[in-house]
Amino acid sequence: MQPETMDREYVHSGHVGCPGCGAAIAMRFVLKALGEKTIMVMPACCWSIIAGPYPQSALKIPMLHAAFETGGAVASGVRAALDVKGDSETTVLAWAGDGGTFDIGFQALSGAVERNENFLYVCYDNEAYMNTGVQRSSSTPYGAWTTTTPGRQWKRLRKKNIVEALVAHRIHYAATANIAYPEDLMGKAAKAKTMTGSRFLHIFATCPTGWRLPSEMSVKIARMAVQTNIFPLYEVEDGVRYTINFMPKGYLVNEYFKLQGRFKHLTDEDLAEIQEMVDEDWNLLLRKAGMAPA
Amino acid sequence: MRKVIEGSHAVSEGARLARAQVISAYPITPQTHIVERLSEFCADGTLDARFLRVESEHSALAALIGAASTGVRTFTATASQGLALMHELLHWASGARLPIVMANVNRALAPGWNIWADQTDSLAQRDTGWIQLYCEDSQEVLDTTLQAYRLAEWVYLPVMVILDAFFLSHTYEPVDIPDQETVDRLLPPFQPRFHLDPENPCTFGQMSPPGVYMEMRRSIQAAMEDALLAFADVEEEFSRVLGRRYGPVEAVQCDDAGVILVTSGTVTSTSRQVIAELRARGEKVGLLKIKLFRPFPVESIRAALGRAQKVAVIDRNFSFGASGIFAQEVRAALCNLPGHPAVFGYIAGLGGRDVTTAVIEEIYVRTRDAEAPKEESIWVGLQEVKHAT
Amino acid sequence: MTSQPKERPPTSLLIPCSYLSTESNKTGSWRFLRPRYEEKTAPCSAACPAGEDIGRIEMLTAEGLFHEAWETVLRENPFPGICGRVCYHPCESVCNRGEFDEPVAVHILERFLADAAARFELQPALERLAPRTEKIAVVGSGPSGLAAAYFLARLGYQTDVFETMPEPGGVLRWGIPLYRLPLVVLNQEIALIQTLGVRIHCDKEVSPQSLVATGSSYDAVFLGCGHSRSLRLKIPGENLEGVEDGLRFLGRIRRGETPVLQGTVAVVGGGNTAMDVARSAARLGARPVVIYRRRRQDMPAFAEEVEMAFAEGVELHELETPVAIRRRGGHLILTLQGMRVAGEDSRGRARVKPDSGKTREMDVQRLFLGVGAATAEEWQDPPPKGGGVLSLSNSLLVHEPGHPVLVFGGDLVAETKSVVHAVASGKEAAIALDLLFRQGLEAVRPRLQACLVGGGPSLSMEMYLGGSRSLRNRRIVQYDDLNTDHFRFAPRIMEPRLLREERLRSFAEIVLKIGANLAIREAERCFNCGLCNDCDNCQLFCPDLAVICDRKAGSRSINYDYCKGCGLCVVECPRNAMVLEEEALCARS
Repeated sequence: MQPETMDREYVHSGHVGCPGCGAAIAMRFVLKALGEKTIMVMPACCWSIIAGPYPQSALKIPMLHAAFETGGAVASGVRAALDVKGDSETTVLAWAGDGGTFDIGFQALSGAVERNENFLYVCYDNEAYMNTGVQRSSSTPYGAWTTTTPGRQWKRLRKKNIVEALVAHRIHYAATANIAYPEDLMGKAAKAKTMTGSRFLHIFATCPTGWRLPSEMSVKIARMAVQTNIFPLYEVEDGVRYTINFMPKGYLVNEYFKLQGRFKHLTDEDLAEIQEMVDEDWNLLLRKAGMAPA
Repeated sequence: MRKVIEGSHAVSEGARLARAQVISAYPITPQTHIVERLSEFCADGTLDARFLRVESEHSALAALIGAASTGVRTFTATASQGLALMHELLHWASGARLPIVMANVNRALAPGWNIWADQTDSLAQRDTGWIQLYCEDSQEVLDTTLQAYRLAEWVYLPVMVILDAFFLSHTYEPVDIPDQETVDRLLPPFQPRFHLDPENPCTFGQMSPPGVYMEMRRSIQAAMEDALLAFADVEEEFSRVLGRRYGPVEAVQCDDAGVILVTSGTVTSTSRQVIAELRARGEKVGLLKIKLFRPFPVESIRAALGRAQKVAVIDRNFSFGASGIFAQEVRAALCNLPGHPAVFGYIAGLGGRDVTTAVIEEIYVRTRDAEAPKEESIWVGLQEVKHAT
Repeated sequence: MTSQPKERPPTSLLIPCSYLSTESNKTGSWRFLRPRYEEKTAPCSAACPAGEDIGRIEMLTAEGLFHEAWETVLRENPFPGICGRVCYHPCESVCNRGEFDEPVAVHILERFLADAAARFELQPALERLAPRTEKIAVVGSGPSGLAAAYFLARLGYQTDVFETMPEPGGVLRWGIPLYRLPLVVLNQEIALIQTLGVRIHCDKEVSPQSLVATGSSYDAVFLGCGHSRSLRLKIPGENLEGVEDGLRFLGRIRRGETPVLQGTVAVVGGGNTAMDVARSAARLGARPVVIYRRRRQDMPAFAEEVEMAFAEGVELHELETPVAIRRRGGHLILTLQGMRVAGEDSRGRARVKPDSGKTREMDVQRLFLGVGAATAEEWQDPPPKGGGVLSLSNSLLVHEPGHPVLVFGGDLVAETKSVVHAVASGKEAAIALDLLFRQGLEAVRPRLQACLVGGGPSLSMEMYLGGSRSLRNRRIVQYDDLNTDHFRFAPRIMEPRLLREERLRSFAEIVLKIGANLAIREAERCFNCGLCNDCDNCQLFCPDLAVICDRKAGSRSINYDYCKGCGLCVVECPRNAMVLEEEALCARS
């Protein structure tokens, strides 16, 4: 990373993110990489509140709050307006949570990507509807407690794979990233900035509050997600070329789950099952990347 | 230049001449001809605009919210289900004070599927903070579309230009299409009072707690109040150049009328003919066309209807559990006027059913011959139903 | 602006739109835990008897700041070139990196720094106090005496070192063979001490009494004369020709004699002297056999020395001891008694008893004794505890009014006899004397406590002189305190050595130099436990941008107006240079 990138900041202190908020870290990193010629569109998500109430803002770039399901569409409109004004330099950035991307916002995102709208869509994923109090979304992982999957009805459905869904659109560029790997994340954002067409970044952003985890473990747990192959770091170009960016040691998933209160009900049998699912998904990814299974 | 064109295309010509910069639309009968023509204009370079072929009406309006926030002139069109789907964002567009212009073709709401004329779709959105203008013929549609931009960009409220399905959208009339130079003088380029600008970064639309929200809402209403005055000024400007004006309402032979019919949309055209015939027979009847529905022109209506004994409002719409919506608004406008006329409400033409001269005449006669309105609303021309679940 | 008639004011436009930043929210008020920068003590620096600031030395080396790194060594130890070659490096045994992959090769880096200083003729800038009037005599120019003189000179004292041998160095010169410690290195490091104003008088045998008798007015005398009398086996035949004291043998080699040996020679003993004798004998043509009464693991010799000896062909006969020697022809017949293990002592060393009936004879050309040494004169033995005797960790102070202060140091008082313990001894003596002269006897023990590295007993001169090292928390960083996510496995540097065939041909130094690139790479493996190395992870991961870095000053601070106390900075600090504490309710502003 260039020193200029490392030193510039586009977020103000005093925002109201929880202590240890992974979404705040993600925002810092992405904006450092993109720079000031950026316009942000933000559908309803935690950051809608983190950014501060009227008349404040925690951001140093122009930002438009938008309705929950409209991220992809509003961004398309901003892009069209900039194009008609002759501005091809400013990056249009849609910044949404997992709810506004995987669920209610999926239609607009799919439509925008199908049209190959020229924008960067960043989904910071804290794996539930955190802003409204930890309800489950389709990005909530298998095994998790949420307020709408409580007790014995913990989520027994796998996390939706948003990157693969967009890859099926032959999206120009899609990649996963993680707050514990800042250079990789910022590198991908900077790379995406130089491209045109639809670009998507799926960022793993810890929520210590919703995951029932001590705030100081935010980055460590995110790192563990990569090290256990639960959240691999990879890129897909034009829907066909897969590159795995980091080959972790493949630590067993147990410790990752045991550290988080949202998983404390899982038995050893459940964890063994989950380990198989993780291995299966990882092998599938390896095949797509043209590599031999582990 | 005078040309015979379809009602839909009058909208398209209006948007073209206004130099809309971003158009975002999703097809729905009977709006399709509007956007198809605009698509052609963009494709052949007649109009220098970006056309977003979005995947739903909700996204169509969302995209325009983004574009208008970036400071460009925008346009879309829809009808019925599409307008209903946009509902959330209709509130958003006015709350964000964006000068978006949208044409809505009045079409019935499902279920059952019905693509024909019915005003319930746009009237059900009367609380969303959009200026609403109801048109009677193709010329008015084109003129209103042009004026809509001037008005919107003055008061910073979105404007809905409304026309009846098929009766207006798919019929052909001769229309005077002004040249681009003339329109450019009437409609200078949009210079926004605020927009998304990296040179001057700002966040729009953030959380507004109880301590600040109410004042923002009052500001929207203040703009609506301004719109009443601005509408007159805009019409004045346009009339000086194009020689046409319509007024927020149009009173036809109301001064000495005992009964005044109140209409909107294409029913007005038919009513003009009925009034002429009735007058020829000596009936003291008048006609009030309502064009501007939001903001509701209370003063103009009181002035036009105040001296009559009876008023018969013809609604091609209904608010279930209450009454026809124009009738509601007229009653509200008159209720504090001492000695105001009795208001009769008639429901006709829902789902595209024809409102013929006979129907209108029947409405007049029933009003004339009744002492006072016995029901809130009289549903005209209902047929006997043989099968019901 | 779209034109409007002049009479009309612009329409009211009150929309949610920002005109302030969130910086008016002082989110620091949310906090109930507070992070703070706090450097701690690395285990290596506490395990080093000389208390070297090893974590910092490696940090500077990794940055290529060899001059500063070398000076950092010199602050605590005047002998980097010597220790880098001969020290048994207890630092490496406790190195936290050892739990991750392999310990950092601290001794290789220390030697590299000395080599670099010599190569580039670097001059150190060392902290020194203003000159004092007291004069100190040092008896013996071995490592403890030289170290004492070095530290005393830095504290401002005029120091005279008296040495009986013709050249200074003590065991460094006469005991340690050249293949472990070349002369040029020894001479350079002694010369550095002399540049501080220390005067070394060779061929001068003195004692405290003789000093007084000659009328010299020394205020204190440091006794670093060591154990120069080798112990005997006290068995028949010990005085026969062909039986020689090991240390004397080594001394002869160092004086230029190269006796030709052949055949098998036996070396009795298990310490470093025995190993040095055996390996020297191998180079002179003999086939050495070491005879030791206990087991291999009980041998006091440094493990590496033992391994190197075996690599050079030295044989070991464990659990045997000679009980009689006789001559036959030109060689010696040894009667060896087998021993058996009869329990272990408190340190795990075997207690041995003769295994009755197990004796054998061994035919050797020569027999060398390396079974230990003791003081040559009675006055060299430290007195028992009593009035006027202050017994410290590595030295013993005798204070009698009317007499110069006596300080016994080095091997005279050491439990572990090593060069680095000798340095520790000299340092402790110097600081103790300085305290005594400036503040009186009562100040010595408590003020020494203030200079301890970690839990002690190692002392730091830098801390004594009020350096920034005194600000560090004495808590020793454990492996679990680190965040090893931020480090990658990297193999430890391989010590470059002469090939085995080359080693025995001469007394040339076995371990070779390394280049700067390898040194930097190895130094980068150091975790710098407890020290801040400006990695700025704290600033990188702070969600609230509450860590402010001053790049020019190379420092950072926490903006407590906004810090929410999440603790991420503390956990992501790879080297535990921060601490998270409860926010004191009364301290909140």
